[in-house]
Amino acid sequence: MSVTSLAAAAPAATLARLLARHRGAIIAAIVFALLLLVVDLVSAGQLTYFDISFLSSGGATSALAAIGQTLVILSGGFDLSAGAVISLVNVVLANGMDPMATGTSVALWTLAGIGVGMLVGAFNGFFIAVLRMQPIVVTLSTMFILQGVTLLVMDKPGGFVSPDLGAFYLGDAIAGWIPMPLVVIGVVLLGWFWLKGTRFGTALYAVGSDPDAAASVGVRVVLVRFLVYVIAGGCYGLAGVFISAQTGSGDPLVGNPLLLSMFAAVVVGGTRLGGGQGGPVGTVFGAYILMMVVNILLVLNVSAYYSTIAEGTILILAVLAGSLSHDSVLARQLRALRARLAAWRAGMLPSQIDRTDRRLGIARGSAGEQQVPQPAFHVRNAETLRYALPAYVCLAIVVIVTQIWLGRAIANFGYWNSLFVLSSFLAILALGQGSVILTGGLDLSVPWMIGLSGILLAGMVNGSDAALAYALPAVLAVACLIGLANGIGVVFLGISPIVMTLATNGILQGFALLYSQGTPAGFSSPMLRWFMTGKVFAITPVVLFMIAFVVFAVLLLGRTAFGRRVYGIGNSLRAAQLSGIAVGRTLILVYVLSAVCAALVGIMLTGFSGQASLGMGDDYLLPSIAVVVVGGALITGGRGHYLGMLGGVLLLTALQMLLAGTTLPYATRAILFGLVVLGAVMALRERRIQ
Amino acid sequence: MGIGSKARRLALLAGMAVCAFGMSGAEAAGRHKIFLSMSFIGNDWQAEAANMVKAMASHKSMVDKVDLQVQVAGPNAQRQIQQINAMVQAGAEAIVIFPISPTALNQVVKNACEKGVKVFAYDAEITEPCAYNVHIDQEEAGRVTAEWLVKKLNGRGNIIAVTGVPGTSVDDLRTKAAKEVFAKHPDIKIVGEAVGMWSQAVARTELSKILATRSWDDINGLWMQVGCFTANSMQLEAGKKSSELLPCAGEGSNGGRIQMLPEGTEVEGATSPYAPLGAPRISYASPPYSGALALKLAVEALEGKDVAKKTILPLPVVTNETIKLCDEGTWAEMKAGCNAFKPSLVSNPGWFASIFSDQTPEIGLAAALVGQPEE
Repeated sequence: MSVTSLAAAAPAATLARLLARHRGAIIAAIVFALLLLVVDLVSAGQLTYFDISFLSSGGATSALAAIGQTLVILSGGFDLSAGAVISLVNVVLANGMDPMATGTSVALWTLAGIGVGMLVGAFNGFFIAVLRMQPIVVTLSTMFILQGVTLLVMDKPGGFVSPDLGAFYLGDAIAGWIPMPLVVIGVVLLGWFWLKGTRFGTALYAVGSDPDAAASVGVRVVLVRFLVYVIAGGCYGLAGVFISAQTGSGDPLVGNPLLLSMFAAVVVGGTRLGGGQGGPVGTVFGAYILMMVVNILLVLNVSAYYSTIAEGTILILAVLAGSLSHDSVLARQLRALRARLAAWRAGMLPSQIDRTDRRLGIARGSAGEQQVPQPAFHVRNAETLRYALPAYVCLAIVVIVTQIWLGRAIANFGYWNSLFVLSSFLAILALGQGSVILTGGLDLSVPWMIGLSGILLAGMVNGSDAALAYALPAVLAVACLIGLANGIGVVFLGISPIVMTLATNGILQGFALLYSQGTPAGFSSPMLRWFMTGKVFAITPVVLFMIAFVVFAVLLLGRTAFGRRVYGIGNSLRAAQLSGIAVGRTLILVYVLSAVCAALVGIMLTGFSGQASLGMGDDYLLPSIAVVVVGGALITGGRGHYLGMLGGVLLLTALQMLLAGTTLPYATRAILFGLVVLGAVMALRERRIQ
Repeated sequence: MGIGSKARRLALLAGMAVCAFGMSGAEAAGRHKIFLSMSFIGNDWQAEAANMVKAMASHKSMVDKVDLQVQVAGPNAQRQIQQINAMVQAGAEAIVIFPISPTALNQVVKNACEKGVKVFAYDAEITEPCAYNVHIDQEEAGRVTAEWLVKKLNGRGNIIAVTGVPGTSVDDLRTKAAKEVFAKHPDIKIVGEAVGMWSQAVARTELSKILATRSWDDINGLWMQVGCFTANSMQLEAGKKSSELLPCAGEGSNGGRIQMLPEGTEVEGATSPYAPLGAPRISYASPPYSGALALKLAVEALEGKDVAKKTILPLPVVTNETIKLCDEGTWAEMKAGCNAFKPSLVSNPGWFASIFSDQTPEIGLAAALVGQPEE
């Protein structure tokens, strides 16, 4: 009896371990099945093979691309060029195929697409792995460069993709049973399973978990990282081939909007941002969950204004469903709360114990040691200078080039005034986004936080200066609440910052539409407009405000307990917790700060334009991240100085002003912009792993 | 805890499902099931167009014929493909689309046509031959506005061009047509070119960047897809008098239209710069009523009437000679020739004022503002 139970226990334990290891993927699969069930229940007819077939082709592009992104994220990286690669492959195929030729070779063009993707991956990999530059800046630059190249290949939608490609990729593998898209994804996943079993697969997880440790045990970190970007590039390339087959033509903008939902797919699929945990199987389900939302909104007949709200809510619920377990953040927070309550009852809370000094009596250093002279400024701040200075050096170069090329820059006061006015938006966003990034998070709710604040303010103010007195605090209070919601989601519900803020962004968009009924009313008051566009002795008032803001930001991050806590959390969450930092409270405050900064920008933009419009914040998300990183901050948190970020802001703005003054075509400008950013951050290379 | 709550969630979803099913079943009796697939609802033009479609569907002549469902696909062509497929599955008789891409939807639209669904695209084009298209001639828009500007400048001068969203057919057609006109006049020089993304806010930042290294005195005229209202405001801020404003060929926003009225005109609710300035302008637009008209044509097609595959809308062009203020903005009033609305009625100057069509007496100003049809 006991022998049999023992024998039964071993496989049970293995099963439990398997389940635990693949929890993310399993839960994503369950959520997907539930959603499928809902669609099946609600839609008129039975779920037929045709439904499955078109569903499988609908999600295939994002699933394939997200598999590539998953590998990059597993290795601890980040790839913003994924969407641009898809567009590029699409136009290359649509441009290269000859409409007259018969019998197009599917294999050949598929290889061409994958090849283009891998080339881009090798470009990314070279800068990230060999030159040890931050993935987010490299891939952001690549994204701009590729967008330019794509427009050079094809400047408007058109071209021709052979129907043979469509017939192959959208057809049936086994007629009536298995649609081809599922087979394609299956083949890629099989490739992954093989890869995972090789030494490369182990090395991939090792590098993602801890690159230093991986290097110490002899893993060739540089090679692994390089190959990861090449393989991922191949996946994006295949996604590009698939979308070409699906659409039968080329469109230079087709891939770009896939980027953000790709990250959501990865996270919903149970892969942890920052690396080392998860896998592509969950991602595939994640991608299909996000695709299914379209069908669910349709069958539930969610009206247009509510659709982004519903989408955001579904995203949060899908992720929350994955965290319903004993060791989820939510469960842990609840247990901690219970423990705290018990401690309070027992009178054991630190605040309830009498305040005698219990510090250990460590002997103070001898008088002689105190005489050591303080090192010089540049020695004390060597680290900060090393990361912050390159942006300023590049800024100087850009200004000089502007002077030579366009004239009227250095000696022209108006140039500097414009530079500062145009920089003020990003300078303020940089504090909010920068603080979030310093803690290791990311705030994607910036665009519609800006939009909603602008619309709320314009509606309340409606041209009256007096109304500004209550409208300003009201809008900032709303921003605090939204930041609070973001923070609570991240801290107490344990939702990944990317997913939480992405969902919030959608929900805010819905609110903005509902509030304005699609037509934002009201306009800025004269005083606000004067603040943004008027002149006091040739200086626009907002420039003075910006100077004050910079001083405030430097003091906040550098000289306050809050600032020290932010850096502490970013360097090591665990160490911060153990040192008694109120991690939760600090994180929530950081998200509140980011929301308030975004709201300020919304208010300023309303003053600058004279009115608020829907979508006015759309162009500020990626730049807000870029300036923080160009200014020397580490995307994984803990390192960066506000003055460095400010340098990044000024550099990017000056560069845009230079390009705007020329009559170069947009495609060339995008390529130049990407190259300059890439060049500017060459100096920010990581130190070689010892 | 896990299983229990999952079961509850399932029960809840199932409950929602039953409700939704019950509703749609009861509604469908005797009305044409029409879906609207919008691309992206996050800008002024799209929201205005959506309001007008809603108003059209709820007009008393339509309400018994149409069961309209509006869905948003976002900016992602992939999702629009999926959405259109799902609409076909859900039994659509007609689908009205704002196409995200003129080419990417071809396959799915063809598939829909084969199932007998009528597909109508508005504003932008779908190149698949079985689709019905309702839009203006974008090349004509570029050409007419450029010719006006050349004439206004007597064939010589420095101009700034602000384009739309790069990589779209609409932007490409307009810009190329305009540049062809400018190329015929060697004394017209484009000294600055910026990407305006069809947004007043972007036009403002881009113009500020250009003017950081240039002064208004070096510029003689502006050709903009969107942004004349903003450009005029910036010239006033820079100290120009309203009589010195540069000629500007651009979009049909209400703010720009009000600025075109002769200076000193009494207009309720006007405050500078959203006020009559006598600004030299030509104002054109891709009219936001095209979606509502597409819906109307779709119903006609379903009723068996003959509808042309291509409906080219007349280009709404307003110049200083033809500008006229509306009193209330009813369709009848616009039919009599008015084309600008009081700021007291339309407080957003970026709002698109080209809402009049001969063919849509069902919708007027209230339709565009709040989705309310005419009596």
